[in-house]
Amino acid sequence: MEHAMNEEEPESDIIIARNLHKTFPGPVAALVDFSVTVRRGEVLVIVGPSGSGKSTFLRCLNGLEEVESGSIIVDGIPLDDNQRHRLEIRREVGMVFQSFNLFPHLDVLENVSLAQRLVRGKSRAEARGCSLELLARVGLADKAASYPAELSGGQQQRVAIARALAMMPRVMLFDEATSALDPEMIGEVLDVMRQLAEEGMTMVVVTHEMGFAREVSDRVLFMEHGRVIEEGTPGEFFNHPRRQRTREFLRQIL
Amino acid sequence: MQWRSATRITSAVDVAKFLLTLGLLAWLVGRGSEQLGYQWHWRRIPAYLLTVTDGHWHAGPLLDGLLVTLEITAISLVLAAVIGLVTALLRLSGSLVGRILAIFYLETIRNTPLLVQIFFLYFVMAPILDISRFTTAVLALAFFEGAYASEIFRSGIVAIDRGQWEAAHSLGLSRLATYRHVILPQAVRRVLPPLTSQAISLVKDSALVSTIAVYDLTMQGRVIVAETFLVFEVWFTLAAIYLLLALALSLLVRLVERRLGSHGQTAWNMP
Ligand SMILES: Nc1ncnc2c1ncn2[C@@H]1O[C@H](COP(=O)(O)OP(=O)(O)O)[C@@H](O)[C@H]1O
Ligand SMILES: [Mg+2]
Repeated sequence: MEHAMNEEEPESDIIIARNLHKTFPGPVAALVDFSVTVRRGEVLVIVGPSGSGKSTFLRCLNGLEEVESGSIIVDGIPLDDNQRHRLEIRREVGMVFQSFNLFPHLDVLENVSLAQRLVRGKSRAEARGCSLELLARVGLADKAASYPAELSGGQQQRVAIARALAMMPRVMLFDEATSALDPEMIGEVLDVMRQLAEEGMTMVVVTHEMGFAREVSDRVLFMEHGRVIEEGTPGEFFNHPRRQRTREFLRQIL
Repeated sequence: MQWRSATRITSAVDVAKFLLTLGLLAWLVGRGSEQLGYQWHWRRIPAYLLTVTDGHWHAGPLLDGLLVTLEITAISLVLAAVIGLVTALLRLSGSLVGRILAIFYLETIRNTPLLVQIFFLYFVMAPILDISRFTTAVLALAFFEGAYASEIFRSGIVAIDRGQWEAAHSLGLSRLATYRHVILPQAVRRVLPPLTSQAISLVKDSALVSTIAVYDLTMQGRVIVAETFLVFEVWFTLAAIYLLLALALSLLVRLVERRLGSHGQTAWNMP
Protein backbone atom coordinates (compact mmCIF):
# COMPACT_ATOMS: atom_id res chain seq x y z
CA MET A 1 0.00 0.00 0.00
CA GLU A 2 2.56 2.51 -1.11
CA HIS A 3 1.54 6.09 -0.94
CA ALA A 4 2.07 8.98 -3.32
CA MET A 5 3.82 10.86 -0.52
CA ASN A 6 6.90 8.72 -1.12
CA GLU A 7 7.96 10.81 -4.10
CA GLU A 8 7.58 14.12 -2.32
CA GLU A 9 9.32 13.22 0.91
CA PRO A 10 13.07 13.04 0.86
CA GLU A 11 13.20 10.48 3.61
CA SER A 12 11.30 7.33 2.79
CA ASP A 13 12.07 5.50 6.03
CA ILE A 14 9.86 6.93 8.74
CA ILE A 15 10.93 4.56 11.52
CA ILE A 16 14.50 3.40 11.81
CA ALA A 17 15.16 1.20 14.83
CA ARG A 18 18.65 -0.23 15.11
CA ASN A 19 20.11 -2.83 17.46
CA LEU A 20 17.60 -2.32 20.24
CA HIS A 21 18.24 -4.06 23.54
CA LYS A 22 15.78 -4.11 26.38
CA THR A 23 15.95 -6.25 29.50
CA PHE A 24 13.35 -6.32 32.25
CA PRO A 25 14.19 -7.27 35.82
CA GLY A 26 14.17 -11.00 36.08
CA PRO A 27 16.12 -10.75 33.91
CA VAL A 28 13.92 -11.05 30.85
CA ALA A 29 15.42 -10.13 27.52
CA ALA A 30 12.45 -8.45 25.83
CA LEU A 31 14.38 -7.09 22.85
CA VAL A 32 17.68 -8.54 21.68
CA ASP A 33 19.57 -6.71 18.96
CA PHE A 34 16.24 -5.88 17.37
CA SER A 35 16.37 -3.85 14.16
CA VAL A 36 13.55 -2.86 11.87
CA THR A 37 12.82 -0.12 9.36
CA VAL A 38 9.37 1.08 8.36
CA ARG A 39 8.79 3.00 5.15
CA ARG A 40 6.42 5.93 4.90
CA GLY A 41 2.91 4.68 4.19
CA GLU A 42 3.84 1.10 4.93
CA VAL A 43 1.69 -1.24 7.00
CA LEU A 44 3.94 -3.53 9.03
CA VAL A 45 2.30 -6.36 10.93
CA ILE A 46 4.25 -7.91 13.80
CA VAL A 47 3.29 -11.40 14.92
CA GLY A 48 4.80 -13.73 17.47
CA PRO A 49 3.97 -15.74 20.55
CA SER A 50 2.99 -14.07 23.79
CA GLY A 51 5.98 -12.61 25.61
CA SER A 52 8.10 -12.31 22.49
CA GLY A 53 8.59 -8.56 22.90
CA LYS A 54 6.02 -7.16 20.46
CA SER A 55 4.47 -4.72 22.92
CA THR A 56 7.87 -3.76 24.25
CA PHE A 57 8.97 -2.76 20.75
CA LEU A 58 5.90 -0.61 20.16
CA ARG A 59 6.24 1.00 23.57
CA CYS A 60 9.89 1.82 22.92
CA LEU A 61 8.88 3.57 19.70
CA ASN A 62 6.88 6.24 21.55
CA GLY A 63 9.00 6.43 24.67
CA LEU A 64 6.72 4.46 26.98
CA GLU A 65 9.72 2.21 27.62
CA GLU A 66 13.39 3.07 27.56
CA VAL A 67 15.76 0.99 25.47
CA GLU A 68 19.10 0.15 27.05
CA SER A 69 21.02 0.47 23.83
CA GLY A 70 20.35 0.96 20.17
CA SER A 71 18.87 3.91 18.34
CA ILE A 72 15.38 4.90 17.26
CA ILE A 73 14.67 7.60 14.71
CA VAL A 74 11.06 8.56 13.97
CA ASP A 75 10.43 10.81 11.00
CA GLY A 76 13.95 12.14 11.20
CA ILE A 77 13.76 12.86 14.95
CA PRO A 78 16.12 10.83 17.13
CA LEU A 79 14.55 9.45 20.30
CA ASP A 80 17.34 10.51 22.64
CA ASP A 81 17.71 12.33 25.95
CA ASN A 82 16.52 15.58 24.43
CA GLN A 83 13.09 16.22 25.93
CA ARG A 84 11.98 18.26 22.91
CA HIS A 85 12.65 15.29 20.65
CA ARG A 86 10.80 12.96 22.95
CA LEU A 87 7.78 15.24 23.11
CA GLU A 88 7.80 15.71 19.35
CA ILE A 89 7.83 11.96 18.83
CA ARG A 90 5.03 11.43 21.32
CA ARG A 91 2.92 13.88 19.33
CA GLU A 92 3.71 12.37 15.97
CA VAL A 93 3.18 8.75 16.97
CA GLY A 94 -0.36 7.65 17.80
CA MET A 95 -1.04 4.52 19.80
CA VAL A 96 -4.04 2.27 20.21
CA PHE A 97 -4.03 -0.10 23.17
CA GLN A 98 -5.54 -3.49 23.75
CA SER A 99 -7.51 -2.12 26.71
CA PHE A 100 -8.71 1.07 24.89
CA ASN A 101 -7.70 3.32 27.81
CA LEU A 102 -10.37 5.91 27.10
CA PHE A 103 -10.77 8.61 29.73
CA PRO A 104 -13.84 7.38 31.63
CA HIS A 105 -14.73 10.74 33.17
CA LEU A 106 -14.95 12.50 29.80
CA ASP A 107 -17.58 12.03 27.13
CA VAL A 108 -16.61 10.76 23.70
CA LEU A 109 -16.29 14.23 22.21
CA GLU A 110 -14.01 15.37 25.04
CA ASN A 111 -11.96 12.20 24.78
CA VAL A 112 -11.21 13.02 21.17
CA SER A 113 -10.86 16.78 21.72
CA LEU A 114 -8.74 16.95 24.86
CA ALA A 115 -5.29 16.53 23.35
CA GLN A 116 -6.14 18.70 20.35
CA ARG A 117 -6.80 21.56 22.72
CA LEU A 118 -4.03 20.90 25.23
CA VAL A 119 -1.26 19.79 22.88
CA ARG A 120 -2.15 21.28 19.51
CA GLY A 121 -3.56 24.45 21.00
CA LYS A 122 -6.83 24.33 19.11
CA SER A 123 -9.84 26.26 20.33
CA ARG A 124 -12.77 24.36 21.75
CA ALA A 125 -14.81 24.99 18.60
CA GLU A 126 -12.02 23.97 16.25
CA ALA A 127 -11.35 20.79 18.20
CA ARG A 128 -15.04 20.01 18.29
CA GLY A 129 -15.39 20.27 14.52
CA CYS A 130 -12.36 18.09 13.98
CA SER A 131 -13.53 15.53 16.52
CA LEU A 132 -17.00 15.24 15.03
CA GLU A 133 -15.45 14.68 11.61
CA LEU A 134 -13.20 11.92 12.97
CA LEU A 135 -16.07 10.32 14.87
CA ALA A 136 -18.03 10.23 11.63
CA ARG A 137 -15.08 8.54 9.96
CA VAL A 138 -15.08 5.74 12.53
CA GLY A 139 -18.89 5.55 12.33
CA LEU A 140 -19.68 7.01 15.72
CA ALA A 141 -21.00 10.48 14.94
CA ASP A 142 -24.09 9.79 17.04
CA LYS A 143 -22.07 8.85 20.14
CA ALA A 144 -20.32 12.17 20.74
CA ALA A 145 -22.21 12.83 23.96
CA SER A 146 -21.93 9.30 25.36
CA TYR A 147 -19.50 8.25 28.04
CA PRO A 148 -17.08 5.37 27.43
CA ALA A 149 -18.88 3.11 29.91
CA GLU A 150 -22.01 3.38 27.78
CA LEU A 151 -20.29 2.03 24.66
CA SER A 152 -19.53 -1.49 23.51
CA GLY A 153 -15.91 -2.61 23.34
CA GLY A 154 -15.81 -2.20 19.58
CA GLN A 155 -17.21 1.32 19.84
CA GLN A 156 -14.73 2.23 22.57
CA GLN A 157 -11.82 1.04 20.47
CA ARG A 158 -13.06 3.05 17.51
CA VAL A 159 -13.23 6.14 19.74
CA ALA A 160 -9.67 5.38 20.85
CA ILE A 161 -8.58 5.28 17.21
CA ALA A 162 -10.33 8.60 16.52
CA ARG A 163 -8.66 10.07 19.62
CA ALA A 164 -5.22 9.05 18.37
CA LEU A 165 -5.96 10.29 14.84
CA ALA A 166 -7.02 13.65 16.20
CA MET A 167 -3.36 14.43 16.84
CA MET A 168 -2.69 14.03 13.10
CA PRO A 169 0.00 11.45 13.79
CA ARG A 170 2.42 10.41 11.08
CA VAL A 171 2.62 6.87 12.45
CA MET A 172 -0.01 4.77 14.18
CA LEU A 173 0.86 1.89 16.50
CA PHE A 174 -1.74 -0.79 17.25
CA ASP A 175 -1.01 -3.14 20.13
CA GLU A 176 -3.44 -6.04 19.84
CA ALA A 177 -6.24 -3.57 19.26
CA THR A 178 -8.83 -6.31 18.82
CA SER A 179 -7.65 -8.85 21.40
CA ALA A 180 -9.95 -7.63 24.16
CA LEU A 181 -13.02 -7.56 21.95
CA ASP A 182 -15.90 -9.98 21.65
CA PRO A 183 -15.64 -11.79 18.30
CA GLU A 184 -18.60 -9.98 16.77
CA MET A 185 -16.91 -6.59 17.33
CA ILE A 186 -13.52 -7.40 15.88
CA GLY A 187 -14.68 -6.75 12.34
CA GLU A 188 -15.80 -3.17 12.90
CA VAL A 189 -12.42 -2.23 14.37
CA LEU A 190 -10.44 -4.03 11.66
CA ASP A 191 -12.54 -2.21 9.06
CA VAL A 192 -11.49 1.13 10.47
CA MET A 193 -7.87 0.03 10.49
CA ARG A 194 -8.12 -1.19 6.92
CA GLN A 195 -9.64 2.10 5.81
CA LEU A 196 -6.80 3.94 7.53
CA ALA A 197 -4.24 1.79 5.72
CA GLU A 198 -5.93 2.55 2.42
CA GLU A 199 -5.67 6.25 3.13
CA GLY A 200 -1.91 5.81 3.33
CA MET A 201 -1.27 5.93 7.07
CA THR A 202 1.99 4.40 8.22
CA MET A 203 1.00 1.64 10.64
CA VAL A 204 2.80 -0.82 12.86
CA VAL A 205 0.27 -3.41 13.90
CA VAL A 206 0.70 -6.13 16.49
CA THR A 207 -2.14 -8.58 15.98
CA HIS A 208 -3.24 -12.17 15.97
CA GLU A 209 -5.66 -11.50 13.11
CA MET A 210 -3.90 -13.33 10.29
CA GLY A 211 -6.64 -12.43 7.83
CA PHE A 212 -5.88 -8.76 8.40
CA ALA A 213 -2.12 -9.40 8.09
CA ARG A 214 -2.62 -11.24 4.82
CA GLU A 215 -4.94 -8.72 3.21
CA VAL A 216 -3.87 -5.35 4.53
CA SER A 217 -0.18 -5.50 5.40
CA ASP A 218 2.76 -4.74 3.15
CA ARG A 219 5.12 -6.75 5.28
CA VAL A 220 4.85 -9.28 8.09
CA LEU A 221 7.49 -9.66 10.77
CA PHE A 222 7.66 -12.68 13.03
CA MET A 223 9.49 -12.23 16.30
CA GLU A 224 10.34 -14.48 19.22
CA HIS A 225 12.43 -14.00 22.37
CA GLY A 226 13.00 -10.39 21.38
CA ARG A 227 14.53 -11.18 18.00
CA VAL A 228 13.34 -11.01 14.41
CA ILE A 229 12.95 -14.58 13.23
CA GLU A 230 11.61 -13.88 9.76
CA GLU A 231 10.06 -11.11 7.73
CA GLY A 232 8.59 -10.83 4.30
CA THR A 233 5.60 -9.83 2.21
CA PRO A 234 2.38 -11.49 3.35
CA GLY A 235 2.54 -13.73 0.26
CA GLU A 236 6.02 -14.99 1.08
CA PHE A 237 5.40 -15.15 4.79
CA PHE A 238 2.18 -17.11 4.78
CA ASN A 239 2.73 -19.25 1.69
CA HIS A 240 6.45 -19.92 1.77
CA PRO A 241 7.83 -19.39 5.26
CA ARG A 242 11.58 -20.03 5.21
CA ARG A 243 12.20 -20.86 8.85
CA GLN A 244 11.10 -23.99 10.63
CA ARG A 245 10.04 -21.94 13.67
CA THR A 246 7.80 -19.75 11.52
CA ARG A 247 6.09 -22.79 10.05
CA GLU A 248 5.43 -24.15 13.54
CA PHE A 249 4.01 -20.84 14.67
CA LEU A 250 1.75 -20.54 11.65
CA ARG A 251 0.56 -24.10 12.09
CA GLN A 252 -0.39 -23.31 15.67
CA ILE A 253 -2.41 -20.20 15.02
CA LEU A 254 -3.91 -20.78 11.58
CA MET B 1 -32.46 -2.69 43.29
CA GLN B 2 -31.91 -5.44 45.81
CA TRP B 3 -28.92 -3.41 46.82
CA ARG B 4 -30.98 -0.28 47.44
CA SER B 5 -33.40 -1.88 49.85
CA ALA B 6 -30.45 -3.50 51.61
CA THR B 7 -28.89 -0.10 52.28
CA ARG B 8 -32.21 1.25 53.43
CA ILE B 9 -32.49 -1.53 55.99
CA THR B 10 -28.92 -0.97 57.14
CA SER B 11 -29.52 2.73 57.62
CA ALA B 12 -32.74 2.00 59.53
CA VAL B 13 -30.77 -0.28 61.83
CA ASP B 14 -28.12 2.40 62.19
CA VAL B 15 -30.70 5.00 63.17
CA ALA B 16 -32.19 2.59 65.71
CA LYS B 17 -28.77 1.94 67.22
CA PHE B 18 -28.06 5.65 67.34
CA LEU B 19 -31.34 6.42 69.11
CA LEU B 20 -30.71 3.61 71.58
CA THR B 21 -27.27 4.96 72.39
CA LEU B 22 -28.68 8.45 72.76
CA GLY B 23 -31.38 7.18 75.13
CA LEU B 24 -28.80 5.34 77.21
CA LEU B 25 -26.65 8.45 77.38
CA ALA B 26 -29.59 10.63 78.44
CA TRP B 27 -30.45 8.14 81.15
CA LEU B 28 -26.86 8.06 82.42
CA VAL B 29 -26.63 11.83 82.46
CA GLY B 30 -29.98 12.04 84.22
CA ARG B 31 -28.82 9.67 86.92
CA GLY B 32 -25.44 11.34 87.22
CA SER B 33 -26.90 14.79 87.58
CA GLU B 34 -29.43 13.53 90.10
CA GLN B 35 -26.69 12.11 92.25
CA LEU B 36 -24.74 15.34 91.97
CA GLY B 37 -27.87 17.26 92.81
CA TYR B 38 -27.37 19.17 89.56
CA GLN B 39 -29.81 21.98 88.82
CA TRP B 40 -30.63 22.20 85.11
CA HIS B 41 -30.97 25.69 83.65
CA TRP B 42 -31.61 25.00 79.99
CA ARG B 43 -33.58 28.23 79.67
CA ARG B 44 -30.47 30.32 80.08
CA ILE B 45 -28.76 28.73 77.08
CA PRO B 46 -30.56 30.44 74.13
CA ALA B 47 -29.36 33.83 75.33
CA TYR B 48 -25.78 32.73 74.74
CA LEU B 49 -26.66 31.98 71.18
CA LEU B 50 -28.87 34.88 70.24
CA THR B 51 -30.59 37.78 72.01
CA VAL B 52 -33.22 40.16 70.78
CA THR B 53 -33.33 43.68 72.15
CA ASP B 54 -35.57 46.36 70.66
CA GLY B 55 -36.23 44.21 67.63
CA HIS B 56 -32.47 43.86 66.92
CA TRP B 57 -30.72 40.53 66.81
CA HIS B 58 -27.50 40.20 68.74
CA ALA B 59 -25.25 37.23 68.30
CA GLY B 60 -24.42 35.67 71.65
CA PRO B 61 -20.91 34.46 72.47
CA LEU B 62 -21.65 30.93 71.29
CA LEU B 63 -22.76 32.17 67.88
CA ASP B 64 -19.69 34.42 67.72
CA GLY B 65 -17.58 31.39 68.53
CA LEU B 66 -19.36 29.33 65.91
CA LEU B 67 -18.54 31.94 63.29
CA VAL B 68 -14.86 31.86 64.30
CA THR B 69 -14.88 28.06 64.16
CA LEU B 70 -16.50 28.17 60.73
CA GLU B 71 -13.96 30.69 59.52
CA ILE B 72 -11.01 28.71 60.86
CA THR B 73 -12.23 25.40 59.49
CA ALA B 74 -13.17 26.82 56.10
CA ILE B 75 -9.78 28.44 55.55
CA SER B 76 -7.79 25.51 56.89
CA LEU B 77 -9.89 23.07 54.86
CA VAL B 78 -8.93 24.81 51.64
CA LEU B 79 -5.31 25.10 52.76
CA ALA B 80 -5.21 21.47 53.88
CA ALA B 81 -6.52 20.36 50.51
CA VAL B 82 -3.84 22.37 48.71
CA ILE B 83 -1.08 21.16 51.05
CA GLY B 84 -2.34 17.60 50.79
CA LEU B 85 -2.44 17.65 47.01
CA VAL B 86 0.99 19.25 46.65
CA THR B 87 2.50 16.80 49.14
CA ALA B 88 0.95 13.83 47.34
CA LEU B 89 2.30 15.04 44.00
CA LEU B 90 5.74 15.62 45.54
CA ARG B 91 5.76 12.14 46.99
CA LEU B 92 4.90 10.66 43.62
CA SER B 93 7.27 12.91 41.70
CA GLY B 94 10.55 11.86 40.15
CA SER B 95 12.41 14.35 42.33
CA LEU B 96 14.32 12.74 45.19
CA VAL B 97 14.43 15.99 47.15
CA GLY B 98 10.69 16.41 46.70
CA ARG B 99 10.00 12.91 47.95
CA ILE B 100 12.26 13.28 50.98
CA LEU B 101 10.66 16.61 51.86
CA ALA B 102 7.18 15.13 51.60
CA ILE B 103 8.03 12.09 53.70
CA PHE B 104 9.73 14.23 56.37
CA TYR B 105 6.65 16.44 56.62
CA LEU B 106 4.25 13.48 56.71
CA GLU B 107 6.15 11.55 59.36
CA THR B 108 6.66 14.58 61.59
CA ILE B 109 3.03 15.57 61.51
CA ARG B 110 1.57 12.11 61.82
CA ASN B 111 3.76 11.08 64.72
CA THR B 112 3.23 14.06 66.99
CA PRO B 113 0.00 15.16 68.73
CA LEU B 114 -1.91 18.05 67.22
CA LEU B 115 -1.86 19.81 70.57
CA VAL B 116 1.94 19.76 70.61
CA GLN B 117 1.99 21.11 67.05
CA ILE B 118 -0.36 23.93 68.00
CA PHE B 119 1.81 24.83 70.99
CA PHE B 120 4.97 24.59 68.91
CA LEU B 121 3.57 26.92 66.29
CA TYR B 122 2.14 29.26 68.92
CA PHE B 123 5.08 29.50 71.31
CA VAL B 124 8.00 28.97 68.93
CA MET B 125 7.04 29.94 65.40
CA ALA B 126 4.41 32.63 65.93
CA PRO B 127 6.78 35.05 67.73
CA ILE B 128 9.45 34.51 65.08
CA LEU B 129 7.09 34.92 62.13
CA ASP B 130 4.98 37.50 63.95
CA ILE B 131 1.65 35.89 63.13
CA SER B 132 -1.65 36.23 64.98
CA ARG B 133 -3.29 33.53 67.07
CA PHE B 134 -5.93 33.08 64.41
CA THR B 135 -3.33 32.54 61.68
CA THR B 136 -1.41 30.18 63.95
CA ALA B 137 -4.55 28.17 64.51
CA VAL B 138 -5.34 28.00 60.81
CA LEU B 139 -1.79 26.97 59.89
CA ALA B 140 -1.60 24.30 62.59
CA LEU B 141 -4.87 22.73 61.50
CA ALA B 142 -4.06 22.99 57.80
CA PHE B 143 -0.66 21.33 58.14
CA PHE B 144 -2.05 18.65 60.44
CA GLU B 145 -5.02 17.67 58.29
CA GLY B 146 -3.02 18.26 55.10
CA ALA B 147 -0.74 15.35 56.01
CA TYR B 148 -3.68 12.99 56.22
CA ALA B 149 -5.33 14.46 53.14
CA SER B 150 -2.12 13.90 51.20
CA GLU B 151 -2.13 10.19 51.97
CA ILE B 152 -5.75 10.04 50.85
CA PHE B 153 -4.97 11.85 47.59
CA ARG B 154 -1.97 9.60 47.02
CA SER B 155 -4.00 6.45 47.46
CA GLY B 156 -6.52 7.79 44.96
CA ILE B 157 -3.85 8.70 42.43
CA VAL B 158 -1.99 5.39 42.52
CA ALA B 159 -5.29 3.54 42.17
CA ILE B 160 -5.80 4.98 38.69
CA ASP B 161 -5.05 2.47 35.96
CA ARG B 162 -1.61 2.79 34.34
CA GLY B 163 -3.31 2.75 30.96
CA GLN B 164 -4.65 6.25 31.65
CA TRP B 165 -1.10 7.57 31.98
CA GLU B 166 -0.01 5.69 28.90
CA ALA B 167 -2.89 6.98 26.80
CA ALA B 168 -2.15 10.55 27.88
CA HIS B 169 1.55 10.04 27.21
CA SER B 170 0.91 8.74 23.71
CA LEU B 171 -1.28 11.78 23.00
CA GLY B 172 1.58 14.07 23.94
CA LEU B 173 0.06 15.44 27.15
CA SER B 174 2.54 16.83 29.67
CA ARG B 175 2.74 15.36 33.15
CA LEU B 176 0.96 18.37 34.59
CA ALA B 177 -1.81 18.28 31.98
CA THR B 178 -2.23 14.55 32.58
CA TYR B 179 -2.66 15.11 36.30
CA ARG B 180 -5.00 18.00 35.83
CA HIS B 181 -7.27 16.65 33.11
CA VAL B 182 -7.00 12.87 33.36
CA ILE B 183 -5.74 11.57 36.69
CA LEU B 184 -6.97 13.98 39.36
CA PRO B 185 -10.59 14.26 38.21
CA GLN B 186 -10.83 10.48 38.56
CA ALA B 187 -8.75 10.19 41.70
CA VAL B 188 -10.52 12.96 43.61
CA ARG B 189 -13.91 11.49 42.85
CA ARG B 190 -12.74 8.15 44.19
CA VAL B 191 -11.42 9.56 47.48
CA LEU B 192 -14.31 11.90 48.21
CA PRO B 193 -15.66 9.69 51.02
CA PRO B 194 -12.37 9.45 53.00
CA LEU B 195 -11.70 13.13 52.30
CA THR B 196 -15.07 13.95 53.83
CA SER B 197 -14.20 12.01 56.98
CA GLN B 198 -10.96 13.95 57.14
CA ALA B 199 -12.81 17.25 56.76
CA ILE B 200 -15.11 16.27 59.62
CA SER B 201 -12.04 15.45 61.72
CA LEU B 202 -10.81 18.92 60.98
CA VAL B 203 -14.03 20.47 62.27
CA LYS B 204 -13.70 18.49 65.48
CA ASP B 205 -9.96 19.03 65.87
CA SER B 206 -10.48 22.76 65.49
CA ALA B 207 -11.74 22.73 69.09
CA LEU B 208 -8.11 22.39 70.18
CA VAL B 209 -7.31 25.92 69.03
CA SER B 210 -9.14 27.13 72.12
CA THR B 211 -5.97 26.15 73.99
CA ILE B 212 -4.17 29.14 72.50
CA ALA B 213 -7.05 31.44 73.36
CA VAL B 214 -8.61 31.69 69.96
CA TYR B 215 -12.22 32.54 70.64
CA ASP B 216 -13.80 29.72 68.73
CA LEU B 217 -16.91 27.81 69.72
CA THR B 218 -15.12 25.71 72.34
CA MET B 219 -13.32 28.68 73.87
CA GLN B 220 -16.56 30.61 74.22
CA GLY B 221 -18.12 27.57 75.82
CA ARG B 222 -15.27 27.33 78.32
CA VAL B 223 -15.67 31.00 79.20
CA ILE B 224 -19.40 30.64 79.80
CA VAL B 225 -18.90 27.53 81.91
CA ALA B 226 -16.30 29.30 84.00
CA GLU B 227 -18.64 32.22 84.60
CA THR B 228 -21.92 30.41 85.11
CA PHE B 229 -21.22 26.77 86.03
CA LEU B 230 -23.79 25.68 83.45
CA VAL B 231 -21.43 22.77 82.75
CA PHE B 232 -23.82 20.19 81.33
CA GLU B 233 -26.00 22.56 79.36
CA VAL B 234 -23.14 24.34 77.65
CA TRP B 235 -21.14 21.25 76.75
CA PHE B 236 -24.23 19.48 75.44
CA THR B 237 -25.04 22.50 73.34
CA LEU B 238 -21.50 22.57 71.95
CA ALA B 239 -21.60 18.86 71.17
CA ALA B 240 -24.88 19.35 69.32
CA ILE B 241 -23.48 22.23 67.29
CA TYR B 242 -20.38 20.26 66.28
CA LEU B 243 -22.60 17.34 65.35
CA LEU B 244 -24.72 19.59 63.16
CA LEU B 245 -21.62 20.99 61.50
CA ALA B 246 -20.33 17.51 60.70
CA LEU B 247 -23.71 16.44 59.35
CA ALA B 248 -23.99 19.56 57.21
CA LEU B 249 -20.54 18.90 55.79
CA SER B 250 -21.26 15.31 54.80
CA LEU B 251 -24.57 16.39 53.33
CA LEU B 252 -22.78 19.00 51.25
CA VAL B 253 -20.27 16.44 49.97
CA ARG B 254 -23.09 14.05 49.15
CA LEU B 255 -24.69 16.78 47.03
CA VAL B 256 -21.38 17.46 45.25
CA GLU B 257 -20.94 13.74 44.68
CA ARG B 258 -24.37 13.46 43.16
CA ARG B 259 -23.64 16.38 40.85
CA LEU B 260 -20.34 14.85 39.75
CA GLY B 261 -22.04 11.53 39.19
CA SER B 262 -24.85 12.94 37.10
CA HIS B 263 -23.00 12.78 33.79
CA GLY B 264 -24.52 9.52 32.69
CA GLN B 265 -21.36 7.54 33.31
CA THR B 266 -22.13 4.91 35.86
CA ALA B 267 -19.92 1.87 35.58
CA TRP B 268 -16.59 3.56 36.08
CA ASN B 269 -17.20 5.20 39.41
CA MET B 270 -18.35 1.99 40.99
CA PRO B 271 -15.61 0.66 43.26
N1 LIG C 1 7.04 -3.90 32.80
C1 LIG C 1 7.60 -5.11 32.72
N2 LIG C 1 8.27 -5.63 33.77
C2 LIG C 1 8.85 -6.83 33.71
N3 LIG C 1 8.81 -7.62 32.63
C3 LIG C 1 8.15 -7.19 31.54
C4 LIG C 1 7.51 -5.91 31.53
N4 LIG C 1 6.95 -5.73 30.33
C5 LIG C 1 7.22 -6.84 29.62
N5 LIG C 1 7.94 -7.72 30.35
C6 LIG C 1 8.44 -9.01 29.88
O1 LIG C 1 9.11 -8.81 28.65
C7 LIG C 1 8.80 -9.85 27.75
C8 LIG C 1 8.19 -9.26 26.50
O2 LIG C 1 6.93 -8.73 26.83
P1 LIG C 1 5.95 -8.07 25.77
O3 LIG C 1 6.71 -7.09 24.98
O4 LIG C 1 4.78 -7.59 26.51
O5 LIG C 1 5.56 -9.32 24.87
P2 LIG C 1 4.36 -9.47 23.84
O6 LIG C 1 3.71 -8.15 23.65
O7 LIG C 1 5.00 -9.98 22.60
O8 LIG C 1 3.43 -10.48 24.42
C9 LIG C 1 7.88 -10.79 28.47
O9 LIG C 1 8.64 -11.87 28.96
C10 LIG C 1 7.32 -9.98 29.60
O10 LIG C 1 7.05 -10.79 30.69
MG1 LIG D 1 1.73 -7.58 24.10
